Amino acid sequence: MDTATTTAHGHTAGDHGGGYHPTGILRWLTTTNHKDIGTMYLTFALIMFFVGGAMILAVRAELFQPGLQLMQPELFNQLIGVHALVMIFAALMPAATGFANWQIPLMIGAPDMALPRLNNWGFWLLPPAAILLTLPFALALFGIGDGAIATGWTFYAPLSVQGGIGVDFAIFAVHILGISSILGSINIIVTIFNLRAPGMTLMKLPLFCWGWLITAFLLIATIPVLAGAVTMLLADRHFGTHFFNAAGGGDPILFQHLFWFFGHPEVYILLLPVWGLMPHVLATFSRKPVYGYKGQVYGFVGIGVLSVVVWAHHFLTAGLPVPALLYFMYSTMAISLPLAVLFFCWIATMWRGAMTFETPMLFAVGFIVLFGIAGLTGLVLADVAADAQYHHSYFVVAHFHYALFAGGIMGVMTGVYYWLPKWTGRMYSETLGQWHFWLTVLSFNLTFMPQFFLGLAGMPRRIPDYALQFAEFNAISTVGAFILGISQLLFAWNIIQCARGHGPQAAGRVWEGAEGLEWELSSPPPHHSWAVQPQVK
Amino acid sequence: MNAQLFSSEELERRRAASRRLGWALGAVVLALYLLGFFIQR
Repeated sequence: MDTATTTAHGHTAGDHGGGYHPTGILRWLTTTNHKDIGTMYLTFALIMFFVGGAMILAVRAELFQPGLQLMQPELFNQLIGVHALVMIFAALMPAATGFANWQIPLMIGAPDMALPRLNNWGFWLLPPAAILLTLPFALALFGIGDGAIATGWTFYAPLSVQGGIGVDFAIFAVHILGISSILGSINIIVTIFNLRAPGMTLMKLPLFCWGWLITAFLLIATIPVLAGAVTMLLADRHFGTHFFNAAGGGDPILFQHLFWFFGHPEVYILLLPVWGLMPHVLATFSRKPVYGYKGQVYGFVGIGVLSVVVWAHHFLTAGLPVPALLYFMYSTMAISLPLAVLFFCWIATMWRGAMTFETPMLFAVGFIVLFGIAGLTGLVLADVAADAQYHHSYFVVAHFHYALFAGGIMGVMTGVYYWLPKWTGRMYSETLGQWHFWLTVLSFNLTFMPQFFLGLAGMPRRIPDYALQFAEFNAISTVGAFILGISQLLFAWNIIQCARGHGPQAAGRVWEGAEGLEWELSSPPPHHSWAVQPQVK
Repeated sequence: MNAQLFSSEELERRRAASRRLGWALGAVVLALYLLGFFIQR
């Protein structure tokens, strides 16, 4: 490929800003540039990652030893619920959307996202929603209300019908976060469909874009169901309806069906963008082409389809009829088939490659190993008979943190280290990156591996106090959590240094083995990514 | 890779198509949301 030349801040057909370039805060408030908006998403995600992390460190401190030391059970419940909501909706999802904003136009040869103003609006809905989620903590300090939502992130009725004003705040926050996600998804779908460079057929689309395309369709299919469910909950709380109130002819199990119809695909919404990124990283550092492109595309589609028909495995113990239990057990296990295809392709991409282990590759390999544990323990939980024992135990907590921290957040870290030199034009500190990886992997396992054994021994989740028999594993888990939390400061420091222009200048093709349109541009890319349209052969 | 300038007409045609598809997807979202209220247990 020839290198396309573009002019920074050049006025071209793609200059939707009409030549208006405000500076300072106005730039960020009014920007319609995909790179600016991507940067805002990623910055917001990083800040909220530390906010959510601080909440759970308080929880782990309380669990360091049996008895109540630091907080009352009410605050403990609030911290757990808001931690999950913040990490899912305000850290992981915005991080993935930040990747999409930065990378999709670069990867498909588009000058920007197709609907840039919608893009700006999608981002600026996030901060007020995050404030709504966390504000009840502050209000309680002034005697207003009884704190944040204390139902866990699942809003289960009838507990959520009876909860305090924190539930209302969370309901409104989820509505706003949902609107933001839907706007982002619409933008991603129409951008991929309409702004691909000539010659880039759908089967030449980079796998990261495929992962996000499936994610965007999942969001559009499931977020409205969540919004409907929490609107009905709001009506039950304040307007005298009985959707989820058995005394009025309603059904609390209906809420669980509606919530998990969104909630299970949400797991894949968090993971598919990362799965799409993995083959790029593995191929780059193995210096080989991606193995099984079509297999991975069909794997993404298969997982996307299956993800919306397996929701009830989250409440197998709720008293569902036996045929339903069998259906949800077998359909859940069926997801392991397309997922196994992805794992096979990732490993085959590395097979006999000239591998080197820079920080992104370390995180990618760490992701594969640890996410494999999440997958295998997920199979255990899908088993109806086994789940009767493990449901609502710490086994579940350990399982979904292997999925969402090792699978989701470590995947995001892979992407950040892989693309940070492209975004900032500066190389990060490899030494700090390696320290960050090893501290993260070791402390992550120190935190969550003991929780499998706690769950197997019968420790229930969401309790601030526990029996003496669980003391040792809880102490180990808390020590691991604090090391894990503190080691993330290395990550933040590395990013800040690059953003401030420290470190060696990065080349356009940052990594020797990297393939794809995005590496044809300079690092950092010009203001309008592809003012000169590339053509893909 | 061959390179050529985006023409304003081509870009506007693609953006118009994007707007139409965006509205259609938005309508699907609204329909799904409203459908939720008619679910019978």
